[in-house]
Order: sequence, then structure tokens, then C-alpha cells
Amino acid sequence: MSAPSGLTSQAEITGDLKLECGVVVVGSGAGGATVAAELAAAGVDVIVLEEGGYHPTGSFTAEAGRALRTLYRDGGGGMAIGRPSVLFAEGRCVGGSTVVNGGMSWRTPTAVLDRWAEQEGVLAISEKDLDPYFARVEALLSVGLQDPETIGRDSELLAAGADAMGWNIVPNRRNQLHCAGTNSCTTGCPTGAKRSMLVTSVPRALSRGARLFADCRVDRVTRSGAAVTGVTGHVVRPGGRKGPAIAVRARAVIVAGGAIQTPALLLRSGLRSASGQLGRNLSLHPNAMVTAFFDEDVTGWHGVHQAFQIREFAAEGLLLTAVNLTPTMLAAILPAYGRELGALMADYNRIVTAGPLVTDTGTGRVRNVPGVGPQVFYSLAERDAARVVRGVELTAEALFAAGARRVLLPFAGAPEVRSPGELRRLLTHPVPRRSLQLYSIHLMGTARMSEDPGRGVTDSFGEFHGAGGLFVTDASLFPGPVGINPMETVVALALRNARRLIERRDRLGF
Amino acid sequence: MTAAPEDDPRLGAVIRPAARRFAEVVCPPEMRADRRTEQVLHEFGLMLGALPPAARKALSTALILIDQGARVYPRSRGRRFARLDDRTAEAYIRALLGRRDAAAEMVQRLKCVVTMCYYDLPEVQREIGYDPVPYIAAVSRRRLETYGPQIRAGEAAMGLPEPGEP
Repeated sequence: MSAPSGLTSQAEITGDLKLECGVVVVGSGAGGATVAAELAAAGVDVIVLEEGGYHPTGSFTAEAGRALRTLYRDGGGGMAIGRPSVLFAEGRCVGGSTVVNGGMSWRTPTAVLDRWAEQEGVLAISEKDLDPYFARVEALLSVGLQDPETIGRDSELLAAGADAMGWNIVPNRRNQLHCAGTNSCTTGCPTGAKRSMLVTSVPRALSRGARLFADCRVDRVTRSGAAVTGVTGHVVRPGGRKGPAIAVRARAVIVAGGAIQTPALLLRSGLRSASGQLGRNLSLHPNAMVTAFFDEDVTGWHGVHQAFQIREFAAEGLLLTAVNLTPTMLAAILPAYGRELGALMADYNRIVTAGPLVTDTGTGRVRNVPGVGPQVFYSLAERDAARVVRGVELTAEALFAAGARRVLLPFAGAPEVRSPGELRRLLTHPVPRRSLQLYSIHLMGTARMSEDPGRGVTDSFGEFHGAGGLFVTDASLFPGPVGINPMETVVALALRNARRLIERRDRLGF
Repeated sequence: MTAAPEDDPRLGAVIRPAARRFAEVVCPPEMRADRRTEQVLHEFGLMLGALPPAARKALSTALILIDQGARVYPRSRGRRFARLDDRTAEAYIRALLGRRDAAAEMVQRLKCVVTMCYYDLPEVQREIGYDPVPYIAAVSRRRLETYGPQIRAGEAAMGLPEPGEP
């Protein structure tokens, strides 16, 4: 498989690199690839540096272990330290997390946009302002509803349960071009139907003249006085070994490494925000997973990754959805080992895994720990813990209503539950916060935008307060949790911010 | 040029016996019966290699501590974990998990990684009814047969200039 023109991987780099361009973009995910494509299309000389490797669609398989090692940072085993700790995953490959996310595309809720405008004074962020950008995202990424033949039985069962409870259910809007329903979203879409950045904005950027260097980690943003001058980094060899040095001189630097890596890079570059908010304000939409066993054959991997969302409890900050897990992932979360684990896994095709996504009010922080690197600390608020428990209870109720015979709850040490009555009795006792088994794939807020430099890290369009020519374009910008799958918001903001950059390119000098 | 192949994993001589014993406890007994232990250890080595150095070191150290810590476990009669019989090894791990402290958390993390490695083996997946390759081939074919023209049009549109593009 040959790489597209303009894309260079580590094996092709044999010595130190010194490059120049108008704009250097750090990261090729939802924010980075989008802004790179927009700028390249406007004739700007763009270089994209991506720490992960280039893995084309043809290389994707359903092998979860291999995907974790090659497409995810740290094998998908990020940990936000707290009580409880929260497991999180970030993509690290050309296309970023869009290569391994579930492919849900939702516009930012109006109430969230209004709150960002009101609390942080963010400009040009109303629904009316963003409508044209959302429309463009949806056209670029082919956002729409699933073809009906691709809906899996696991999603149907959760929807049936919710329906029996009289709850509001909506079909998921997804960035897909006639998704085949392979259930491979999190291991890389083997058909290219999921319109990740790998198959949309990355090729679009390359075809318009951008240069992309894969396997290139950025260590520092360089500066001269208050203005940035580029970045330095190194090539990443197989096994993570350090390769030749890279230095890129640019008139502007756009950092789009996601809500963990972006603040970590800015902090280790010596940048500080007057607000003190750089690396703080982390939200992560905690998820928890209920495992339900049915008598019928479910074979949840026959069908799309997530077909529906239960929106009945959205006002409480809860979304419920069914998420089929591969055996590799399911084995990791089941509260059993040895013979007992084998017995549970023998029922793999009769299992539905589903759970709540919680809009969190607590926050966390990203810090660079000497000798260790970026570390994430997160404190789950009592209120959010209560909402996780409520979300788990509601999910289990829906699964029982759909015919589940027994469920396992994501609370360490909790017994198996065999009826709604048992569930209610169990939950009359408080669930210790530290017993919650949580994970996250939505990381946000660590370089939040605000027109007030005393409150935010960047202005309304992602320009770093106090550092000329430095921009952020990823979910770090969110002033708070978006309450929905964040990708469309990231791409829409990237389009909007790219337009602003293009309008100001003469002043910025690229 | 695509990404480089993964490095060949080598578990060190110090942790390998402990990792083997740990896998024998936390994975279903079929792992040993079907001679899959080496494959699991190979996968485990790959997974360790994918972790950041600090996490890799933490898990490796945890295995060493589990191994040597068994010497003070009352039922071990001074033996290290790798030398314990099945029943005692299982009881020792159960005791560690029951502590609900940092040690238990580390054992739990190790259990997650090792059981993932076991259930990542294609033959194990097939035994529990998960065989995605033929399924993916079939639905991919169906996709192209049903929506081929729309898919080709959508793909082609990616390369076209948008209104206003120079």
C-alpha cells in the first residue's frame, strides 16, 4: 500500500529535517486535518506533523489488540488518576481519534452554545453563526442516518426496552457513506465508509498541496519574544525509539493534539496562560458499561457500532446507548477471571453492553510530570457520581424491559442482578464513588476559549492569549462539556477558525 | 510507505515466569489445555510495548512484586508466585484483589491486559462465536452491490474543488 503524494512516514526520513512553511499544524485529527485542508485550499503552504503512523483503510482488520497498539496512544490505556480513576483512550495515527471513534455526528446543542457565549463571552458562537459550518461539516463527512439493514440486534434490544419504558429514542446521526455495519468503528473502518479524517480532510489537504509527516512527535513550540516561530520535535521510530530531529519554521502554529496532548505540549514549551486555565477545566463525559445477558442470540457485532441514543434523560445530563464490544474489550471490563470469566464469555453472542454518557460538572487537570510525561488527574464530583449510578440504573431497567435475564453492573464488588426488583433493592444502598468503573473517549476543555484573558486560554477563534501566531483547534477549546459526541463541534469550530485565519492571513504573514 | 511493523516483544527473564503464572490464573483453564500460553505471553509483550515507559515499568514492577510478595502470603510456605500450585496461586490473587487498595488496582489492571490478550486470539474468539472476517467481507460486498454508484459519487466528490476554492 503506497502512501498518497505529500505524506511522508518515518522510514523515509533518514536524517534531521529542517523545514519552512506558512502554517504548521500539530495533529491530524478532527481539528488539525480540517484546518489544514481549509488553509491548503486557500493556497497557504501547510505542514502537518502527526505523531502516529499512517495506516490506510486497507490495513484495518477486526483485531482489537493490534488496533489498540497501532492506532491508539498508549495502547488505549490512558488513565485519569482519581478516586475513582477513569480509563480513557485517544487516537494516535493519521486521522487522529476520528479513525477510532464511533462515528457519531451531532451539532452542538443550542443551550451549550448559549452558555459558552454567556459565560465566556465567546463571539460568533450562536446557533445561527454556526449553522453554515455545521451544514458544511455534514456535507464533507456525509453525515446522515444509518441504512436500516445495518442496525444490530443489540441496538434494537436497547431501543425496544426504552420503548417499553416510554422513553424518547433517536437514531444516531453518523459520518458515514452507506456504512456496511461491520462494527469495526473502534478498530479502524475496513471499508472506509466511516468518513474519518483519514479518508476525507487528510486526502483533501494533501491534494491541495499540504505536506504531512507521520511518525513525527512535536516536543516544543518555539518562540522569539512573544511570537511563535515554529516547532521542534523528532521522528518516532518503531517501538517508540527516538529518530532524527525535526524543526519547522512557520509564521503560525496551530496545535490540534486533543485535550490532553495540546496543553501538555504548550506547557512543556514554557507557555503560560494569564488565566491559569491551561491544562485545567478538563471534562471527560464519564461512561459506564452495563453487561446484560439475554436468552436469545444477539450477535451484537452484526451491525453498526451505535445505532440509537436514548434522549429521555438529556435534561439530567444523561445519554444512554448500546455499544457492542469485541471479545478483547469485553474481557477487560468483566468483573471475573479464570473459569468464571470463561463462563461469562461463553455467552458472548447473547450479551448486550450499554450504558450512560454523563455530562460532567467536575473537572480535571493535565500536568507534565518530570520523567513521566503528561499525566491526567480528574476528580469525579459527587453529583456526577450520582448521575452515573442513575444512568446505570436506567440502562439496566431498559435492558430488563427488553428481556435481559441478568445484568452485571459497573460497580466493583456488586453482585449479579437478576430482576428490576433486585436492582432497586441493591441501589437502596449507596454506591461508593470509588467503586465506579468508568471510562472516557470525550476529552475537552483544557485550553478553553474566552474573550476574557483572565478566564480563558484562547480567544473566541482559538488564538492563544499573549502569544502571537499561536492557535488551538481541537476539543481543548470547549469552555465546558458539550454533552454530546464532540466531533462535529470540533470540525465546525475548525472550519470557522480556519476562515478567520484566511481572512487575516496578510496580517499573520502567510 | 505505511507504518512500520510492530517490534517483536520479549518479556524479560525476571517477569516471564510471573506473567505466565498470572495468565494461568486469570485466563480460563482452556488456555493451558489448548497450549495457548505462549501466544498470550507474546500478545502481552506486544501490549506492554505499546504502553508508555512509566506504565510499562509499573506493570512490570507489579508482576515482580506479585511474584516476590507471594513469599509472605501465609499459604505459600515461602514460595514465589511462579512456583505456587494452582489452588494457592488462585487464592493468592483473590486475596490481592480483595484488598481494594493500590495493589488490588494494579492486579486488576494486569488482569485486564492479560485477559484482553487471551480473548484477542482468533481461535479463542471463534470458540465463543466471534468470527468477524467472513461477516465483514459479506456486508462489505452487500454495501457495494446496494450502494455502489452513490459510494463512488461520494468518493469522487472529495477530490473536487468547492465553490470559492482557488
